[in-house]
Amino acid sequence: MSPAERERRRVRLRSPRQELAEATEHGEVYLRRLRRAQLQLSLLALVAFGAVFGILPIVLDLLPALRHHDIVGVPVAVWIVIVPLSPLFIAIGWLYARRADALDAAFRELVEK
Amino acid sequence: MTALFAVGAVTLGTLGLGAWGVRFVRTTSDLLVASRSVGPWWNACAISGEYLSAASFLGIAGLEMQVGVSALWQALGFTAGYLALLLFVAAPLRRFGSYTIPDFAEARLRSPSLRMLAAGIVLLIGGFYLVPQLKGAGLALNVVSGAPYWVGVVIVGAIVTVNVAIGGMRGITYVQAFQFWVKVFAISVPACVLLIHFGGLPGRAALFGQELPRAGSRGLVVKGPQRVLFPEAGSFVANGRTVHVVAGEHVTLPAGEVKLPPGDIVPYADGIVPQTGKQWSRPVGGQGDSSPLFVYSLLVATFLGTMGLPHILVRFYTNPDGHAARHTTVRVLTLLGLFYAFPSVYGALGRTLVPQLYVTGQTDDVVLRLPAVAWPGPVGTALGALIAAGAFAAFLSTSSGLLVSMAGTISHDVWPRLRQGRPTNVALRRTRFRVAAVAAVLLPVALALGAEGVDISILVGWAFAIAASTFCPMFLLGIWWTGLTARGAAAGMVCGMTVATAAIFTGLALGEPSTGAGAALLAQPAVVSVPIAFLVMIAGSVTDPHRIDASAEMLALHAPEGLGLRVAEDELAVPQTA
Repeated sequence: MSPAERERRRVRLRSPRQELAEATEHGEVYLRRLRRAQLQLSLLALVAFGAVFGILPIVLDLLPALRHHDIVGVPVAVWIVIVPLSPLFIAIGWLYARRADALDAAFRELVEK
Repeated sequence: MTALFAVGAVTLGTLGLGAWGVRFVRTTSDLLVASRSVGPWWNACAISGEYLSAASFLGIAGLEMQVGVSALWQALGFTAGYLALLLFVAAPLRRFGSYTIPDFAEARLRSPSLRMLAAGIVLLIGGFYLVPQLKGAGLALNVVSGAPYWVGVVIVGAIVTVNVAIGGMRGITYVQAFQFWVKVFAISVPACVLLIHFGGLPGRAALFGQELPRAGSRGLVVKGPQRVLFPEAGSFVANGRTVHVVAGEHVTLPAGEVKLPPGDIVPYADGIVPQTGKQWSRPVGGQGDSSPLFVYSLLVATFLGTMGLPHILVRFYTNPDGHAARHTTVRVLTLLGLFYAFPSVYGALGRTLVPQLYVTGQTDDVVLRLPAVAWPGPVGTALGALIAAGAFAAFLSTSSGLLVSMAGTISHDVWPRLRQGRPTNVALRRTRFRVAAVAAVLLPVALALGAEGVDISILVGWAFAIAASTFCPMFLLGIWWTGLTARGAAAGMVCGMTVATAAIFTGLALGEPSTGAGAALLAQPAVVSVPIAFLVMIAGSVTDPHRIDASAEMLALHAPEGLGLRVAEDELAVPQTA
């Protein structure tokens, strides 16, 4: 058995858990993949949040109609600032937490198999 | 009198629980033991309880009354900050196992000197955040008992110091969770009762129409001397003499009682811009505190600053794992959304019902003064007492949390390094913690005595700006980028802190608020200082010859628990003070 072949075999026989625990290059690749996936998910959630919340001040500034139409005597623009944003935060947060847990679970499965 | 009694009850209760709880919470390992049995809802209540401060309870409504609906962005930012924390920080930081920000700085970047820098910034942010709490206490005690402003500041400063020194509220999750519900109850019940009493919002023309606030049907009585601006022609009665004032004139109301006739225009204290209802109810637009630049800068500060507040991070440690940290944070978003539905009611009611605060400029009082004025008699008195108690719960819990963090930082991070060797003696460590608590409270008390004229919301905005310009880039880059080095982190934090602090003090030195982009940035520098901090931190790390291999740290930050991969938590975490 040539040294190269032995090396290949050694690599094949080791589980992701060992690779991670011994901080080998392969282990680092597994972990980097998890980190990248988590970061992409966070950035996606950030973009979703920014797309609504981030442009809201500009929209409210540029659309005076929102200030001149009332619902129950209170301008629409005021309602927009008070009511729908908290539910939006909660929804984004909840969806994010579910996906993030799923990514962790997939990683756990990879390591434990 | 009723209000004073309610305040006394809350204070004694807090002190009593602190003294009683100290027997159970000696060390952080007790905190860990406790954490295993605490569910995410309890944790979320505790985090929200510690977080909701004088700025949330009094400041938002006060700022809303003064500058208009644009003040509500601050409440949204305070909530959204937890979304940033959830997306980028909560789970990794819990997995990493650092109790405090200096712990994280040292462990992640392997640099003891970075710990010292982080400790210094903790003290700066904590100090900036303590000042508005003490200011709120001074105002509240003045409203409920008539005591001078400085008495309240000194008394609450002393109470908080004693509370922290005898044991603090550190780790008493259930007490903080209880405090949260006290605050929600105290802000929601009076708001709902008053709205039902008036059948909605009275005086809509001054809120959303073309009207300016006017004196009610019984006229207004204010205390002079006070320099004011009459936005329209009006009059006042002083020493039995009626004085007529033309529109746009600045006058000084004489000392003693000054009466404003029923239905007359309400003059504005210098520094407050008179607004019609239409202008007042604009969420964005115009000049000053509602200009788009200021709104965005404030949103950046609060969105990114929340994760850098020193008293919040340790609360996340009571979550058993990263998964629980995430779900606790989602619940925090829910609870804060619930609380922040109410302060806006007080600002709007105050504009019509207590317009005398425009004359004195003390709009931060509006939550405290509203019930008694809006509904004279026993109901108003009872509601006022409830609000005063809630406000005191807010000062005590936030200031205690801050002071525990600051005293812990002084006694744990700064002091042992001044003298060589770590203290091993438990009694000595406790003494140091107490001395540090006293030392940490002195400067904020002195600053609060001089800050009577500065709005609570503005003061809190600065604490967030500094946190967002220092610890936020260190967390985000340290957690997600292997390339961050100690030199880069230090350079970025120093630059961010310098730019933010310099802008704030320049704005203070220039005095009177002016208009324009420059003024908005001096009042809230985050939109400039945060990018600078990030850029310097990245540039400083890329050019640093001393790169570190961060793979062990990344494993600790990102690998899920329960796989047998992770370094034992106790090895990474440095124990906190006794």
